[in-house]
Amino acid sequence: MAILASKKNIERLTFILLIIYPFTLNAFFGYFSAVFSFWLSFYSWDILSPMKFVGLSNYYALFQELWRGLNLLFSDPNLLQFRAPFFNGLKNILVYTAIVVPTQTFLALMLALMGNQKIRGSQFFKVAYFLPATTCSVIISLIFMWLFEKDGFINFFIIPFTGGYRINWLNDPTYLLTAISLVAIWGTSGNFSVTFLSGLQTLPKEVYEAAKIDGASSLNRLIHITIPLLKPIIAYVVIMGLIGALQMFDLSYVMAGSSGGVGGAGYTITLDIYNTAFLQLRYGYAAAKSVILFLLIFSLSYYVQNKLRYYRHE
Amino acid sequence: MNRKLFNILKISGIYLVLIFFALVYLMPFIRSLFGSFMTWEQASYFPPQWIPNPMTFTNYLKLVEISLFPTWIINTAIYSGIIVLVNILTASMSGYAFASLNFPKKDLIFNTLLALLMIPPFVTLIPNFIIYVKLGIIDNLFGLAILSTANISSIFLMRQYYFSLGKELFEAARIDGANPLKAFFYIALPLGRPALGAISIYNFLAAWNAFLGPLVFLRSPENYTLPVGLSFAFSRSIWSDYGPIIAGSLIASAPTILLFVVLNKYLIRGIVIRASKG
Repeated sequence: MAILASKKNIERLTFILLIIYPFTLNAFFGYFSAVFSFWLSFYSWDILSPMKFVGLSNYYALFQELWRGLNLLFSDPNLLQFRAPFFNGLKNILVYTAIVVPTQTFLALMLALMGNQKIRGSQFFKVAYFLPATTCSVIISLIFMWLFEKDGFINFFIIPFTGGYRINWLNDPTYLLTAISLVAIWGTSGNFSVTFLSGLQTLPKEVYEAAKIDGASSLNRLIHITIPLLKPIIAYVVIMGLIGALQMFDLSYVMAGSSGGVGGAGYTITLDIYNTAFLQLRYGYAAAKSVILFLLIFSLSYYVQNKLRYYRHE
Repeated sequence: MNRKLFNILKISGIYLVLIFFALVYLMPFIRSLFGSFMTWEQASYFPPQWIPNPMTFTNYLKLVEISLFPTWIINTAIYSGIIVLVNILTASMSGYAFASLNFPKKDLIFNTLLALLMIPPFVTLIPNFIIYVKLGIIDNLFGLAILSTANISSIFLMRQYYFSLGKELFEAARIDGANPLKAFFYIALPLGRPALGAISIYNFLAAWNAFLGPLVFLRSPENYTLPVGLSFAFSRSIWSDYGPIIAGSLIASAPTILLFVVLNKYLIRGIVIRASKG
């Protein structure tokens, strides 16, 4: 008993007591589930009937689907959603990410640079820009569906530029993904601009004063001091943007529907995983798809992080 | 003189752009506020009209009369309430433990937890769903809430906060004879209030706005939370027109908007902590 009562052991016991719940919960629903997901990807299972080991055939089917999709892309793109939905989702989400991440990063940086000038009411702008990020994505999508109608609010401001033509944003496969991207940019750029703003406020003031004395123009100060010093935060924003964009689900689910809207133009990988698992009840196949999604996110953010780190050391 | 003129032009240019974007970000909210009091014919009229004529509350009344909307509000409040309360406990407890108690390999344990943030929710979604089906707690609001009761970012934030208070504080309490558990309740928990405030807001926003979890884990409409309920109401068109969807969206987002407008300083401070981690 003397050992148990020693101070060191009491501290250790307290430590275990304090972290046991968060640790067990996360270990079980995080790590165990992740391993389970990987293991499940080698099985064919609909929960009700017994599990059947199928080896690599889920991955083989996935590969076939991707190959079929690649061929269809050049021969008959209209059949993509029907014959190779995973490929269609992958294609859409890559286009979406390529539109959203650079635009929102640039917009956020630009707004932060302007908001960082000595002006009155900067708190008001912060609140206004950040507000979309605190609002539920489903609600945002529902409101925007109304604004994106053919006779809607957004077209009213756009017709001067299209020569009176009213774009049918949500029912035209050419514009559906653009509409979803615009909503995503609207929803997240303000959030990231506040991130940039807080980064800008931590930059050392002495460097700027020294540069001013040396006669550097404000543009030169921006390019040679601010941007290089902001590299870590730019990396953070790009990676967070990438991770979020590749997993986009809510906007597509509401604005395009779970089948991806007209011609599957709003279909994404995550929608495909959702459909495969919870509508078709092919849990093993869906798990294989989620493993691919994980690899995609992991490798892309790893690549971006390395690339930006490399620039930082230049 | 020339320089002064240039400065004035520059500042007004900046203002113009900032105000333009403030309008872009706020417009959907303002537009829905006006639109929610219009009849659907007027709300969908082209060119857009601003003054509701006739002014009508039908959109709001329909929410109460022909739907489960009030039930969804209560469900969402219960769901977010549980998550906020339990996270205050788990985050402060384990944040304190990781920051100031000695345990072999505790940094390794902490980093193992932190690494989970890299696993996308879609990877663990399917196994968690299967586990829930097997445990028989599918379509259960409380069961679903359990999944979000030990948020790792919150634990990280609290650990950082207790580090910033300094180890000496807790050591002094220990020398004075308080055991580690006492030191937690009498020192760490009261001192943690500012950070716990930020954590409460984050967890509240995340829980109130959550969609994927409730969509997959809740099955019957009377158990839905607001986001799932509204998306369900829209896809099944349970109201004959779109007006109630707009009114419902406004009511559903009112708590988060009000909370943010009142407490924006807290939230923006939290972003600084999160960004410096990256």
